[in-house]
Amino acid sequence: MYSLIVKQFIRSKTVMVTTLLILILGVVSILIGDQFLAKQEKAIAEVTRHQQEHIARNVSWIDKEMGLLLYYLRFALINSPGNLTALSIGQRDVNSGIQNVTIRNLEGQRYDTDLYNPTSLQSGNLDFGFVIIYLFPLLVIAFTYDLLSEEKEKGTWRLVAIQSKSVRGYLLKKLSVRALLIFIALLLLFTFATVKLSLAINETLMAFAVLGFLYLVFWLALCFWVVSWQRNSSFNALTLLSVWVVLAILLPASVNNLVANLYPVPEALSTMVKQRDGYHEKWDMAKGPTMDKFFAHYPQFEKYTLPDDDFSWLWYYAMQQMGDDESRQQSEAMREKIMQREKASSTAALFMPTMHAQLLFNDLAGSSLENHMKFLDHTQAFHEKMRMYFYPKIFEGASVNGVDWQQFTPEYFSEKPEINWGQAVLPLLVFIAGFSILAAVNLKKIKVA
Amino acid sequence: MLKATNLTKKYGNFTALNALNLSVEGGDIFCLLGANGAGKSTTINLFLNFIEPTTGEAAINSLNVTQYPGETKQVLAYIPENLMLYSNLTGLENLDFFCGLGGKHYSREQLEGLLEQSGLQKAFIHRRVSSYSKGMRQKVGIALARAREASVLLLDEPTSGLDPKASNEFSELLLEMKGKGVATLMATHDLFRAKDTGTHIGIMKEGVLVEQFKSGDVSFQDLEKLYLRHMHN
Repeated sequence: MYSLIVKQFIRSKTVMVTTLLILILGVVSILIGDQFLAKQEKAIAEVTRHQQEHIARNVSWIDKEMGLLLYYLRFALINSPGNLTALSIGQRDVNSGIQNVTIRNLEGQRYDTDLYNPTSLQSGNLDFGFVIIYLFPLLVIAFTYDLLSEEKEKGTWRLVAIQSKSVRGYLLKKLSVRALLIFIALLLLFTFATVKLSLAINETLMAFAVLGFLYLVFWLALCFWVVSWQRNSSFNALTLLSVWVVLAILLPASVNNLVANLYPVPEALSTMVKQRDGYHEKWDMAKGPTMDKFFAHYPQFEKYTLPDDDFSWLWYYAMQQMGDDESRQQSEAMREKIMQREKASSTAALFMPTMHAQLLFNDLAGSSLENHMKFLDHTQAFHEKMRMYFYPKIFEGASVNGVDWQQFTPEYFSEKPEINWGQAVLPLLVFIAGFSILAAVNLKKIKVA
Repeated sequence: MLKATNLTKKYGNFTALNALNLSVEGGDIFCLLGANGAGKSTTINLFLNFIEPTTGEAAINSLNVTQYPGETKQVLAYIPENLMLYSNLTGLENLDFFCGLGGKHYSREQLEGLLEQSGLQKAFIHRRVSSYSKGMRQKVGIALARAREASVLLLDEPTSGLDPKASNEFSELLLEMKGKGVATLMATHDLFRAKDTGTHIGIMKEGVLVEQFKSGDVSFQDLEKLYLRHMHN
């Protein structure tokens, strides 16, 4: 019975062509992800090599003045992408995964990034997450919109209705065959991705896969509900495509716009300007108040006295510190607003499976905005650590050659995603159950004539 | 086997079938004649439980079809005017599929035998139905009725559009099933086939069964006159 339903389905050329198309798109998306990873790895290797060369070159040129040397030296902190990032690139191509900072004021450096290929940024990436979230639902629609109407329009339904013990059971079998083919396609792509990207088989990958499968079950349930209205094929197709447009484009865009208006975020530029003002105006001010504020921040450095010279590195780095201190409030406000946006989006996403899947894919792949914010927080801690290491050396006028510069290789930030299974799958399960129940109610009475 | 008691179907103010009373016993072939819209197909659809009666009752084996849809469906087979099958499957696969839907399973040889007994040429058994003529599809329908071992056969203009040879083959198959005690209700426009194959004939007009008699009681010429008289009145 099942084998005949399978034969009847897969002997259609359209089915084979669309399945092949989704497989090709899936493979292309995985290769795009692989290229992205390769590009990131190349950049990381380049930064590692560059940092060593850069330190060695500067140390050889500026071997007498620690303060001047540290003006130039940059130290890299890398938010190294996991291999799973290739499946959902998310914010990774917008937000830099490498922070190359000096110990001067931080705020101006946090948002430094090279933007390359802005056209690609505008259109977004064709990553595997995109294929699952936006393209697979189209396949689900193509496979299911005429599940019942096709039978009525081609005239086979009357015979089915008479022959079949349970027409609902028959429809479910038809649906399950279509679901099976869709899941096989998804499974093949996951297998290819696992091999090609050397993905670790762990809870994170499992969560990614489970989420992908459940997301498609959601679409199957939604389509089955529309099918249960027992309207004609063109009505079903038009309805489902409209739902796709609403769920995939209209609602996420509207929510994004709403959240942006509800939580206006101060520009990073204004924080940077505040920081620059905080620093630059100190050149024209008396040194005393600057030093008082600096020592209030770092009482441990009070033992260092300011020389009588016009310029001293202690004063210079104190001025730099003031740039950060005076823009701190603005910086924290910006962070808070961004996190409020993130929280509002996540809450709204609980009611929008497309957004929910996208945000969770990004979380699992380490390409979410939250991941980037944590990276920025870590950058601050890293920057502070470097300051605390070098400040005493600068203030004491320590010898440049007395430092083991070899130890300063790039540092790495990594964050294992926390998987909240309940929060991840529950919204989808609720939708799936809801649509299934509605479909079952509608199909209690199936019209034949 | 088949019994309609005051069977009525209304669509708003329009009465498609008005207080139909008829009975078809095992071994009977009851042919319903009438112009388009006379209520023949409505009668068949009511026995199939595809539509619900406004009043009255359609019963198969003394069971009301609306109250016992599962039980009544099990004993009947249905062949519409244009039997549509799955074009991606072969004749044999279609037969296997529809038998499977009803919970009946046959071996490949048994299915081939059923199709051959129903007059389908051996060469076509394993060809996709998309290459079948209408007559060949109807033969698959007959094979299906045989496979179901149906005791009631409902036919809605099954020979419409068939060539004379195919119509004749179809009639022979009906007679064969009659011999096995199958009760057949057939809606048709074909007076010759009704006289030749049917045991009973009913003439319907505007939803009313205006005349019913045994086919042996009238000659073909009388049947034609009777039919035309009702149509022109």
